Amino acid sequence: MTSAHDGANSPEGPGGSTAAGASRQGDDDVTRSTTAVEPPSSLHDLEEAVHQLEHDAEHRPPPAGRTTNLVVATLVTALGAAALVGSLSLGAGSARTPGSGTWPLVLSLLLIGLGVGLAVTARSTTDAERFSRSSLLVLVGLATMVGFVALIGTIGFEIPAALLAFVWLRFLGGEGWRLSVLISLGLVAAFYLIFVAALSVPIPHLF
Amino acid sequence: MDLAPVLDGFAVVLEPTNLLYCLIGVTVGMLVGVLPGLGPAATIAILLPITIGIEPVTAIIMLAGIFYGAQYGGTITSVLLKLPGEASSVVTVFDGHALARQGRAGTALGIAAIGSFVGGTISIVALSFLAPVVASFALDFGPPEYTALALLGILLVSTISSGSRLKALVAAAVGLLLATVGRDAFTGGERFTFGNLNLADGLDFVPIAMGLFGLGEILYNLEERHTAAQAPTKVANVWPSREDLRQSSGAIGRGSVLGFVLGILPGGGATLASLAAYAVEKRRSKTPERFGKGAVEGVAGPETANNAAATSSFIPLLTLGIPANATMAVIFGALLVIGVSPGPQLVTQEPELFWGVINSMYIGNILLLIMSIPLVGVFVKILRVRPAILAPITVLITLIGVYTVNNSVFDIVLGIVFGVLGYLMKKLGFDPGPLLLAFVLGVLLEESLRRSLLIFDGNAAQFFTRPISGTLLVVFLIVALLPLVQGALSRRRPAAERSDTTKELV
Amino acid sequence: MTVLVGYVPTPEGDAAFSAALQEARRRSEPLVVLNSPPGGAPVSVAVAPENAVRRMTERAEADGVALDLRQAAHAGDAADEVLRVAQEVDASVIVIGLRKRSAVGKLLMGSVAQRILLDADRPVLAVKP
Repeated sequence: MTSAHDGANSPEGPGGSTAAGASRQGDDDVTRSTTAVEPPSSLHDLEEAVHQLEHDAEHRPPPAGRTTNLVVATLVTALGAAALVGSLSLGAGSARTPGSGTWPLVLSLLLIGLGVGLAVTARSTTDAERFSRSSLLVLVGLATMVGFVALIGTIGFEIPAALLAFVWLRFLGGEGWRLSVLISLGLVAAFYLIFVAALSVPIPHLF
Repeated sequence: MDLAPVLDGFAVVLEPTNLLYCLIGVTVGMLVGVLPGLGPAATIAILLPITIGIEPVTAIIMLAGIFYGAQYGGTITSVLLKLPGEASSVVTVFDGHALARQGRAGTALGIAAIGSFVGGTISIVALSFLAPVVASFALDFGPPEYTALALLGILLVSTISSGSRLKALVAAAVGLLLATVGRDAFTGGERFTFGNLNLADGLDFVPIAMGLFGLGEILYNLEERHTAAQAPTKVANVWPSREDLRQSSGAIGRGSVLGFVLGILPGGGATLASLAAYAVEKRRSKTPERFGKGAVEGVAGPETANNAAATSSFIPLLTLGIPANATMAVIFGALLVIGVSPGPQLVTQEPELFWGVINSMYIGNILLLIMSIPLVGVFVKILRVRPAILAPITVLITLIGVYTVNNSVFDIVLGIVFGVLGYLMKKLGFDPGPLLLAFVLGVLLEESLRRSLLIFDGNAAQFFTRPISGTLLVVFLIVALLPLVQGALSRRRPAAERSDTTKELV
Repeated sequence: MTVLVGYVPTPEGDAAFSAALQEARRRSEPLVVLNSPPGGAPVSVAVAPENAVRRMTERAEADGVALDLRQAAHAGDAADEVLRVAQEVDASVIVIGLRKRSAVGKLLMGSVAQRILLDADRPVLAVKP
């Protein structure tokens, strides 16, 4: 993402303010090549260069489309609406006599307003990521955690922990079979020694 | 200034247990800074269960060490691998890595270490003088002042740090809403508990922090396509020359001051300080074309500033009880869990804790300076560990750790729920920091607000009649409305697209 | 048709490279050097350092062999990656370096070379330093 700021016309975007000190005029002409990272001089350009560097270093999925952004905005607004209903049922009160629901009421109105704001800017929002095939990995990771907490009460932590570690190593991490099994077992052993043997933490355990 | 408590603080620091935990903290901090993936906020959140079994002062010494230690560690990968380990070390990549390519990696690392040490130490000294003053000033604060302060703090953190202010405000609003769950302090009635007994006393801070920052970040990292690997590098010349030191001295001085000031500002913090310091150095240099090609000031300035800022960001927390950034919010929560209430009374009521923590930073910085240069080789070796192996270890530490807080499986569930939330937030561009910050401040904010309204008999305009709360609220309104004004003005001129936001700030 | 060599910066890898270079020259085929570290970590000993890369490039040039160096990390099994790339570049021969593995080593880590030898669907040239 290259950006060329010419002359004094570089605008201040929302939220792009700085604190003390550094001036932000884009009087230095800055064009960035896509291969080398060239450090710019104004703080605004610097922030852009930093974002670009982090972006290059991290290899994240591409930005989300308008639909996703609208869905997010809708969810936020819906949350606000739900909170509104809840706070009204608690008693709205007033400025003179604030009740249980006064503060939640204020917050829910704020949320609704912000949700609308998000919907309005949905088309130009680029900071959300697209859900892609890699998101399935997250789902698997989450499933292991849910499985862990579901099983820990009944069969202790050892087996669920070993399974979780194995899935993370083998399937989410791409490690080999042997290494995955070995590390999983080693981990559980270590946790057992530390938490059960040494610290006597009353965690449900089988052995 | 009464020196007795300060000296007592040193006595506390020099106790073997505290020294040990200080060492552990700064070492873990450096590791966290070096390893891509988890940041200091996430690590502190994950290690919260440890703080429960030990002395409060020991716990905070360790957590603080993790925070400013991470600023040292992030430099190593920035310089050697062009990989920013921490958000506050990104700027160091420009000149630090250039120096490494010229075979002067040792110079860059050495300058960074020295600058970090100087910046951190100067900041601690300044903090020692400033903090008691601020605290005594704040003892006169009443509910209106706290309302204004909390509002301003939350707004600043949502504004200055992240790019999408709208989303950060949403996060903050959600955090404030979550704080209302449980029992209403004023009326005793239950709010938003849905009849669940576990929620009757409100949401527990620790599972939320561990889930939101710890699990959330781990899940988020699963989607990262891995960076290209590099061969292990050997650092040849380990020490900067006298010439380099002379050239950097100005940058170090300026960086210290700039970092100290920016760190106190809520939302400012180490990352902003490093950016600002770099910009300042480049701007005031007579040969700015050297920047990006290996100018030592380009390393000295930011590295000094980020350490100074990391240190000074403790001030609002320790003197006012207002966290200045996400990591401070986690430490705030830790203090509450341990049973210490942060606020202006901390200096006078718990002088051993206050001065113990502050003085531990001197020791911590010394330890870091000693470790950071000889141990570079070790840290490069540590970078050979594949993230795929670290991930399940961190997950299990978090899941089991969150259980140990209350021996409650419900806490694990809560942690997982917030882990999902944290993942979704990061994925969709919402900074989780403001959420946690608002959550920890939520109770204070609502209480102060309601008390203030009772005092003012419902007339909110009276906030402005009191000098302090009035000033703070005016600043609040300016910061809140400024971008709307700017947006309206800038729509007159052709605008360049604003790029993506920084996901992690502190 | 290309010659594929699995390279790591070790004596075995260097021997494999030399042999592969000879093969590529003999067959007048381009040489694909696969130097793929196991995925994820920012630093890996498996990655060929700059001077090794330079040496390989110079030697290939001197011998008039076209060189294609691939250093992208792989997930999963190293043997699978070699075989996959062999398929992709249509290798006429796979060159690997052999080293002795203790019995325990074989148990814990398995033998990448053995898997390649057994599972390859094209000729494999195994050399020792």
